[in-house]
Amino acid sequence: MTTVIMRTTARIVVPIVLIVAISLLIEGHNLPGGGFIAGVLTSTAFVIVYIAFGLDFLERGVLGRDVDPGKTPSRDRVVVAYRRLFTVGLAIAVGSGLVPLALAHPFLSQSYVVLEGVPLYHHLEIASALAFDLGVYCVVVGGLLTIISVVGAE
Amino acid sequence: MALQTLSPGAESTLVIAPMLIVLVAAVGTLLLGTRPRARAGVSLAGGAAYLIAVAAIDWYVVLAPDAPGAATYQVGGLPAPFGITLVADGLSAFMLTMVAVIGVASLVFSIRVLPELDRRSYYFPLFHFLALGVTGAFLTGDLFNLFVWFEVMLMASYIFVAYYGGPQHTRAAFWYVALNLLASAVFLLGVGGIYATTGTLNMADLARRLAAPAAYGIDPGPVVGLLGLLLSVFAIKAGLVPFQFWIPTAYRAAPPPITALLAGATKKVGIYAIIRLSFTVFADAQIGVDLAVPIVGTVLAGDSPLAFIGAALFVMGTASILVGGLGAVGRDSLEGVLAYSSIGQVGFIAVPVAIAATTTVPDVRHIAIVAALVYALNHALAKGMLFLAVGAVRTATGTSRLADLGGLASRSPLLAAAFFIGSLSLVGIPPLSGFFGKFLVFDAAAQAGSLSVLVLLLAGSLLTIAYATRAWNRSFWGQRTSAVEDAIADPVQVAVLLALAVTIVAVGIGFEPIYRFADAAATAALDTDGYIDAVDPNQTVSGVDGGSVDAGAGGGGGGGETGTGTINTTDGGETP
Repeated sequence: MTTVIMRTTARIVVPIVLIVAISLLIEGHNLPGGGFIAGVLTSTAFVIVYIAFGLDFLERGVLGRDVDPGKTPSRDRVVVAYRRLFTVGLAIAVGSGLVPLALAHPFLSQSYVVLEGVPLYHHLEIASALAFDLGVYCVVVGGLLTIISVVGAE
Repeated sequence: MALQTLSPGAESTLVIAPMLIVLVAAVGTLLLGTRPRARAGVSLAGGAAYLIAVAAIDWYVVLAPDAPGAATYQVGGLPAPFGITLVADGLSAFMLTMVAVIGVASLVFSIRVLPELDRRSYYFPLFHFLALGVTGAFLTGDLFNLFVWFEVMLMASYIFVAYYGGPQHTRAAFWYVALNLLASAVFLLGVGGIYATTGTLNMADLARRLAAPAAYGIDPGPVVGLLGLLLSVFAIKAGLVPFQFWIPTAYRAAPPPITALLAGATKKVGIYAIIRLSFTVFADAQIGVDLAVPIVGTVLAGDSPLAFIGAALFVMGTASILVGGLGAVGRDSLEGVLAYSSIGQVGFIAVPVAIAATTTVPDVRHIAIVAALVYALNHALAKGMLFLAVGAVRTATGTSRLADLGGLASRSPLLAAAFFIGSLSLVGIPPLSGFFGKFLVFDAAAQAGSLSVLVLLLAGSLLTIAYATRAWNRSFWGQRTSAVEDAIADPVQVAVLLALAVTIVAVGIGFEPIYRFADAAATAALDTDGYIDAVDPNQTVSGVDGGSVDAGAGGGGGGGETGTGTINTTDGGETP
């Protein structure tokens, strides 16, 4: 177990990191940011949790599951979930590239819609690139966390 | 609303089809998770679809009487030279066909060679990602994109080299990864340098700018050195001496079907990249080369970078033939023999490419490229099949050491027949595909009038006979060993091998259409203007000339109104 300072800092920092990551993901298609960097930042938040509270904290403390410590890390339920996230992300990214093909546009074509008069925002831009970015985000988070939990456990 | 894109025609969509098929197959097999049967089914369906798509490209783009010869696809609808262009011309189609045949064979083989446990891991998704990288590298018309596909290919192959996870596999993977990371860094450096020098990475645009550097206001001098960097990276991929040292360990460590793919397909990516960049992109570059080689005392001179590429490839190719041949004679396992043999065989592909680069006669250049391509095809088929045969021997006997083998011919005659045909094709006995490969290479060397090359090629061929005979004698003839006595060859594996053997014989007997295809591929490789036209017909080199004429007529600043929309028309106008 780490020090009180570490754990207290982690409690404050992790939500901030996650929010920044999500904002980077959402605005990434036309501002600095994007799926990759948002994914890396999200993984960083998880790494802080791992360092401060230990590898099993997520499953035991957050999800309320029982964990037997002797198991192979790659068969942990949370790691299986990470791997599934990776696969689903890849499917989203490829699928978002294939959709324009069905609409008779080239592979990976992107478009956007501007909505006027939206409450709070007034002017909201919804880009199709967001779907691709979301796929990349899932791939990066899933891939990095799989590596970190498996290698970290060893 | 922002989709201002060209709606791609049918041929154009065909260009991206093989890539999408492998991509979907890769993701599909990942999504299927732990259901091995479904995974194998999706993999096979993907392989079949890939074969059909490549055959369709071959026919509709290259071989049909009214075929356009080249088709392009702009990914995301962004126009060249800004977006990523995919180009399928004769050369790409020829390479893709090679990969499709050997890829599908090793896919079917994989389903039988791996035990249940292996099938639950990421074997099939990685297989498809490897194929994706190879396919992308053959199709892309953008230098940076080529780098990306190299990386996709390498990432998958890293895992395959370390696949079994034993100490020697880890060591092989470590060297393989270290070498290729270095190569990738050098590749990136070269690509960055070319962008800094010429301001573009689209291959067609690059060829156009280098052919008329003054019109575009660039100084192409550094490109020769940068091309040297790229050449060394491609030589690493192709396994040419002095970059051959990773091949034996990596080929021994990877699962046999993957070794077949590494030897049959990823090696050819290196060859393809050398041919594509040297001849299609850099052949017309207006760069005088005048380089004195200090030790030998010769002077390389010519009016294009080809003089320099030719000399370098010639040295690497001949050294490969000798190192590979001599190395293969002394190996103690079948994989070792075949791995060294593939170093030597790549030398046989590199030498005609070198002849094509050094000669100034267009006909000789053409025949030399045809020779290299036919030889590459034969190597992909024969060597791929032989590596699969080693896999079959290992499944049946549990070993591939020559000392533990013997008498396989009487135990499994069909497996022996396949191995025999593969070895003969490697040696170059008519009527097999290898005969035409060797014949064309010798023909190219004779037409170039180079006696020393002929002698070297002859020596290399003799070495091929020596090691092929030795491998055959030690493992298939003689007394049956205990390992061979209980060996049962897997029928599906043997069927795949026989299918490939029949292909090799068929290529040799019905060589006429293959030659036509290789001829079309060589024409495409040498036709820089055709390539530029296919990618980006609006900005032709003559468009630049038109710009300067306009500037002369309109006086002073009128150069920008040529209507072609080039960024560089102003530069073009200022030249006179």
